[in-house]
Amino acid sequence: MPSLRTAMNASASALDVQRARLEVAVSNLANAESTAGVNGGPYRRREVLLEAVPSEGGGGGFGVRVAAIVEDQSPFQRRFEPSHPQADATGHIELPNVDVPMEMVDMLGAARAYQANLAAIALIRETVQKALEIGRG
Amino acid sequence: MPDSILNDSSLMAALGREMTRAVQRQSVAAGNLANAETPGYRAKEVQFAEALAGQLEGQGAVLQPLATHTRHLGGGADGEGVLRDVEGLAARRDGNTVQMEREMLALSRSGTDFASAQTVLAAKFRLVRYAINEGR
Repeated sequence: MPSLRTAMNASASALDVQRARLEVAVSNLANAESTAGVNGGPYRRREVLLEAVPSEGGGGGFGVRVAAIVEDQSPFQRRFEPSHPQADATGHIELPNVDVPMEMVDMLGAARAYQANLAAIALIRETVQKALEIGRG
Repeated sequence: MPDSILNDSSLMAALGREMTRAVQRQSVAAGNLANAETPGYRAKEVQFAEALAGQLEGQGAVLQPLATHTRHLGGGADGEGVLRDVEGLAARRDGNTVQMEREMLALSRSGTDFASAQTVLAAKFRLVRYAINEGR
Protein backbone atom coordinates (compact mmCIF):
# COMPACT_ATOMS: atom_id res chain seq x y z
CA MET A 1 0.00 0.00 0.00
CA PRO A 2 1.71 3.13 -1.16
CA SER A 3 1.32 6.28 0.82
CA LEU A 4 2.39 9.85 0.50
CA ARG A 5 5.00 9.11 3.12
CA THR A 6 6.55 6.58 0.72
CA ALA A 7 6.68 9.21 -2.00
CA MET A 8 8.17 11.75 0.38
CA ASN A 9 10.79 9.21 1.54
CA ALA A 10 11.82 8.44 -2.03
CA SER A 11 12.40 12.13 -2.72
CA ALA A 12 14.18 12.61 0.58
CA SER A 13 16.53 9.70 -0.19
CA ALA A 14 17.36 11.37 -3.48
CA LEU A 15 18.19 14.63 -1.68
CA ASP A 16 20.60 12.68 0.51
CA VAL A 17 22.24 10.99 -2.44
CA GLN A 18 22.62 14.17 -4.48
CA ARG A 19 24.18 15.93 -1.52
CA ALA A 20 26.67 13.06 -1.27
CA ARG A 21 27.47 13.46 -4.97
CA LEU A 22 28.02 17.17 -4.47
CA GLU A 23 30.32 16.56 -1.51
CA VAL A 24 32.40 14.04 -3.43
CA ALA A 25 32.67 16.33 -6.47
CA VAL A 26 33.72 19.20 -4.24
CA SER A 27 36.41 17.13 -2.51
CA ASN A 28 37.66 15.99 -5.92
CA LEU A 29 37.91 19.60 -7.02
CA ALA A 30 39.58 20.64 -3.79
CA ASN A 31 42.19 17.92 -4.24
CA ALA A 32 42.79 18.41 -7.94
CA GLU A 33 46.41 19.30 -7.16
CA SER A 34 47.06 17.18 -4.06
CA THR A 35 50.20 15.23 -4.83
CA ALA A 36 50.10 13.43 -1.49
CA GLY A 37 46.86 11.60 -0.83
CA VAL A 38 45.78 9.44 2.10
CA ASN A 39 47.72 6.32 1.13
CA GLY A 40 51.00 7.74 -0.03
CA GLY A 41 50.48 8.47 -3.73
CA PRO A 42 48.56 11.38 -5.21
CA TYR A 43 44.87 11.82 -4.42
CA ARG A 44 42.62 9.48 -6.38
CA ARG A 45 39.38 10.81 -7.79
CA ARG A 46 36.34 9.44 -5.95
CA GLU A 47 33.06 8.45 -7.51
CA VAL A 48 29.61 7.78 -6.05
CA LEU A 49 27.77 4.63 -7.15
CA LEU A 50 23.99 4.88 -6.90
CA GLU A 51 21.55 2.07 -6.38
CA ALA A 52 17.74 1.87 -6.52
CA VAL A 53 16.07 0.35 -3.45
CA PRO A 54 12.41 -0.72 -3.26
CA SER A 55 10.61 1.60 -0.89
CA GLU A 56 9.55 0.21 2.47
CA GLY A 57 5.81 0.47 1.95
CA GLY A 58 6.07 -1.78 -1.09
CA GLY A 59 4.38 -1.22 -4.43
CA GLY A 60 5.16 2.44 -4.34
CA GLY A 61 8.22 2.65 -6.49
CA PHE A 62 11.82 3.03 -5.55
CA GLY A 63 14.07 5.12 -3.39
CA VAL A 64 17.74 5.56 -4.03
CA ARG A 65 20.87 5.19 -1.95
CA VAL A 66 24.63 5.42 -2.22
CA ALA A 67 25.83 1.87 -2.94
CA ALA A 68 29.50 2.75 -2.54
CA ILE A 69 32.04 5.49 -2.95
CA VAL A 70 34.84 4.07 -5.07
CA GLU A 71 38.23 5.37 -6.18
CA ASP A 72 38.72 5.98 -9.88
CA GLN A 73 41.56 3.66 -10.97
CA SER A 74 42.43 5.56 -14.13
CA PRO A 75 46.13 6.57 -14.41
CA PHE A 76 47.46 9.73 -12.77
CA GLN A 77 48.38 12.74 -14.82
CA ARG A 78 52.09 13.53 -15.19
CA ARG A 79 53.61 16.95 -15.36
CA PHE A 80 57.20 18.05 -15.90
CA GLU A 81 58.26 19.98 -12.82
CA PRO A 82 61.90 19.26 -11.92
CA SER A 83 61.99 21.72 -9.02
CA HIS A 84 59.15 19.92 -7.19
CA PRO A 85 60.33 17.99 -4.10
CA GLN A 86 58.36 14.92 -5.23
CA ALA A 87 59.72 14.92 -8.79
CA ASP A 88 61.13 11.58 -10.00
CA ALA A 89 64.45 11.00 -11.82
CA THR A 90 63.06 12.37 -15.10
CA GLY A 91 61.74 15.52 -13.38
CA HIS A 92 58.07 14.52 -13.57
CA ILE A 93 55.51 14.58 -10.77
CA GLU A 94 52.30 12.59 -10.59
CA LEU A 95 49.08 14.56 -10.19
CA PRO A 96 45.59 13.34 -9.22
CA ASN A 97 43.40 11.86 -11.98
CA VAL A 98 40.86 14.62 -11.42
CA ASP A 99 39.41 16.25 -14.53
CA VAL A 100 38.17 19.67 -13.40
CA PRO A 101 35.55 20.27 -16.17
CA MET A 102 34.14 16.80 -15.55
CA GLU A 103 33.72 17.53 -11.84
CA MET A 104 31.98 20.81 -12.65
CA VAL A 105 29.52 19.02 -14.93
CA ASP A 106 28.91 16.40 -12.25
CA MET A 107 28.26 19.12 -9.69
CA LEU A 108 25.78 20.85 -11.98
CA GLY A 109 23.99 17.54 -12.57
CA ALA A 110 23.78 16.86 -8.84
CA ALA A 111 22.50 20.37 -8.12
CA ARG A 112 19.80 20.11 -10.80
CA ALA A 113 18.69 16.70 -9.55
CA TYR A 114 18.56 18.11 -6.01
CA GLN A 115 16.31 20.95 -7.21
CA ALA A 116 14.04 18.57 -9.10
CA ASN A 117 13.55 16.44 -6.00
CA LEU A 118 12.87 19.50 -3.88
CA ALA A 119 10.16 20.49 -6.37
CA ALA A 120 8.76 16.96 -6.12
CA ILE A 121 8.59 17.25 -2.33
CA ALA A 122 6.70 20.54 -2.67
CA LEU A 123 4.16 18.87 -4.96
CA ILE A 124 3.72 15.91 -2.62
CA ARG A 125 3.29 18.28 0.31
CA GLU A 126 0.46 19.99 -1.57
CA THR A 127 -1.27 16.65 -1.89
CA VAL A 128 -0.83 15.96 1.82
CA GLN A 129 -2.32 19.37 2.58
CA LYS A 130 -5.25 18.58 0.33
CA ALA A 131 -5.76 15.25 2.10
CA LEU A 132 -5.88 16.98 5.47
CA GLU A 133 -8.58 19.30 4.17
CA ILE A 134 -10.99 16.37 3.89
CA GLY A 135 -11.41 16.48 7.62
CA ARG A 136 -12.19 20.18 7.61
CA GLY A 137 -15.77 21.33 7.44
CA MET B 1 -31.66 0.38 -8.96
CA PRO B 2 -29.68 -1.78 -6.60
CA ASP B 3 -26.46 -1.49 -8.60
CA SER B 4 -26.71 2.22 -9.22
CA ILE B 5 -23.43 4.03 -9.37
CA LEU B 6 -25.24 6.98 -7.89
CA ASN B 7 -25.61 5.64 -4.39
CA ASP B 8 -23.59 7.36 -1.76
CA SER B 9 -21.27 4.66 -0.54
CA SER B 10 -20.20 3.51 -3.99
CA LEU B 11 -19.52 7.06 -5.05
CA MET B 12 -17.42 7.66 -1.96
CA ALA B 13 -15.59 4.37 -2.46
CA ALA B 14 -14.86 5.35 -6.05
CA LEU B 15 -13.51 8.72 -4.95
CA GLY B 16 -11.37 7.00 -2.35
CA ARG B 17 -10.01 4.69 -5.00
CA GLU B 18 -9.26 7.58 -7.30
CA MET B 19 -7.31 9.21 -4.49
CA THR B 20 -5.40 6.00 -3.79
CA ARG B 21 -4.44 5.81 -7.43
CA ALA B 22 -3.30 9.41 -7.49
CA VAL B 23 -1.14 8.75 -4.44
CA GLN B 24 0.37 5.64 -6.00
CA ARG B 25 1.13 7.47 -9.22
CA GLN B 26 2.73 10.24 -7.24
CA SER B 27 4.86 7.82 -5.24
CA VAL B 28 6.05 6.04 -8.37
CA ALA B 29 6.91 9.34 -10.06
CA ALA B 30 8.82 10.44 -6.95
CA GLY B 31 10.73 7.14 -7.04
CA ASN B 32 11.56 7.60 -10.70
CA LEU B 33 12.75 11.12 -10.09
CA ALA B 34 14.87 9.96 -7.16
CA ASN B 35 16.56 7.48 -9.48
CA ALA B 36 17.08 9.91 -12.35
CA GLU B 37 20.84 9.35 -12.04
CA THR B 38 20.94 5.67 -11.10
CA PRO B 39 22.64 3.65 -13.83
CA GLY B 40 20.44 0.94 -15.35
CA TYR B 41 17.25 2.10 -13.64
CA ARG B 42 14.14 1.75 -15.83
CA ALA B 43 11.35 4.27 -15.29
CA LYS B 44 8.30 2.63 -13.70
CA GLU B 45 4.61 3.33 -14.11
CA VAL B 46 1.41 2.07 -12.55
CA GLN B 47 -0.93 0.29 -14.84
CA PHE B 48 -4.60 0.90 -14.17
CA ALA B 49 -6.08 0.36 -17.63
CA GLU B 50 -5.74 -3.42 -17.35
CA ALA B 51 -7.06 -3.31 -13.84
CA LEU B 52 -10.12 -1.47 -15.11
CA ALA B 53 -10.58 -3.95 -17.95
CA GLY B 54 -10.40 -6.77 -15.42
CA GLN B 55 -13.01 -4.99 -13.36
CA LEU B 56 -15.38 -4.59 -16.30
CA GLU B 57 -14.92 -8.15 -17.45
CA GLY B 58 -17.64 -10.57 -16.45
CA GLN B 59 -20.06 -7.86 -15.46
CA GLY B 60 -21.56 -7.37 -18.90
CA ALA B 61 -22.75 -3.85 -18.31
CA VAL B 62 -20.59 -1.13 -19.76
CA LEU B 63 -21.95 1.52 -17.45
CA GLN B 64 -20.44 0.07 -14.28
CA PRO B 65 -16.85 1.15 -14.05
CA LEU B 66 -17.40 2.14 -10.44
CA ALA B 67 -18.13 -1.31 -8.99
CA THR B 68 -17.94 -1.15 -5.24
CA HIS B 69 -16.29 -4.51 -4.68
CA THR B 70 -12.60 -3.72 -4.40
CA ARG B 71 -11.55 -7.24 -5.36
CA HIS B 72 -12.90 -6.71 -8.84
CA LEU B 73 -9.72 -4.84 -9.65
CA GLY B 74 -6.96 -6.80 -11.30
CA GLY B 75 -4.06 -5.25 -9.49
CA GLY B 76 -5.04 -5.69 -5.89
CA ALA B 77 -7.29 -4.28 -3.24
CA ASP B 78 -8.31 -0.64 -2.96
CA GLY B 79 -7.72 0.17 -6.59
CA GLU B 80 -3.99 -0.40 -6.47
CA GLY B 81 -2.41 -0.84 -9.86
CA VAL B 82 0.42 -2.97 -11.14
CA LEU B 83 3.94 -1.61 -11.30
CA ARG B 84 5.83 -2.16 -14.53
CA ASP B 85 8.62 -0.66 -16.61
CA VAL B 86 7.61 2.06 -19.05
CA GLU B 87 8.20 0.93 -22.61
CA GLY B 88 9.29 3.05 -25.54
CA LEU B 89 11.49 5.46 -23.61
CA ALA B 90 14.95 6.12 -24.98
CA ALA B 91 17.65 4.81 -22.67
CA ARG B 92 20.68 6.94 -21.95
CA ARG B 93 24.17 5.54 -22.18
CA ASP B 94 24.02 4.24 -18.62
CA GLY B 95 20.78 2.37 -19.36
CA ASN B 96 18.61 4.79 -17.40
CA THR B 97 15.24 5.68 -18.97
CA VAL B 98 14.02 8.38 -16.57
CA GLN B 99 12.94 11.65 -18.18
CA MET B 100 12.78 14.37 -15.60
CA GLU B 101 10.06 16.51 -17.20
CA ARG B 102 7.87 13.45 -17.71
CA GLU B 103 8.09 12.65 -14.00
CA MET B 104 7.45 16.23 -12.92
CA LEU B 105 4.38 16.25 -15.13
CA ALA B 106 3.18 12.98 -13.61
CA LEU B 107 3.74 14.41 -10.12
CA SER B 108 1.70 17.53 -10.71
CA ARG B 109 -0.97 15.75 -12.73
CA SER B 110 -1.60 13.18 -10.02
CA GLY B 111 -1.60 16.02 -7.49
CA THR B 112 -4.39 17.67 -9.46
CA ASP B 113 -6.31 14.40 -9.77
CA PHE B 114 -6.08 13.99 -6.02
CA ALA B 115 -7.25 17.56 -5.44
CA SER B 116 -10.30 17.15 -7.66
CA ALA B 117 -11.35 13.89 -6.02
CA GLN B 118 -10.81 15.50 -2.63
CA THR B 119 -12.96 18.49 -3.57
CA VAL B 120 -15.87 16.28 -4.60
CA LEU B 121 -15.48 14.13 -1.49
CA ALA B 122 -15.47 17.20 0.75
CA ALA B 123 -18.68 18.39 -0.94
CA LYS B 124 -20.18 14.98 -0.28
CA PHE B 125 -19.25 15.18 3.39
CA ARG B 126 -20.74 18.67 3.57
CA LEU B 127 -24.04 17.20 2.38
CA VAL B 128 -23.87 14.52 5.06
CA ARG B 129 -23.24 17.15 7.70
CA TYR B 130 -26.14 19.18 6.32
CA ALA B 131 -28.36 16.14 6.76
CA ILE B 132 -27.13 15.50 10.28
CA ASN B 133 -27.79 19.10 11.26
CA GLU B 134 -31.32 18.81 9.89
CA GLY B 135 -30.71 21.35 7.20
CA ARG B 136 -29.38 24.06 9.45
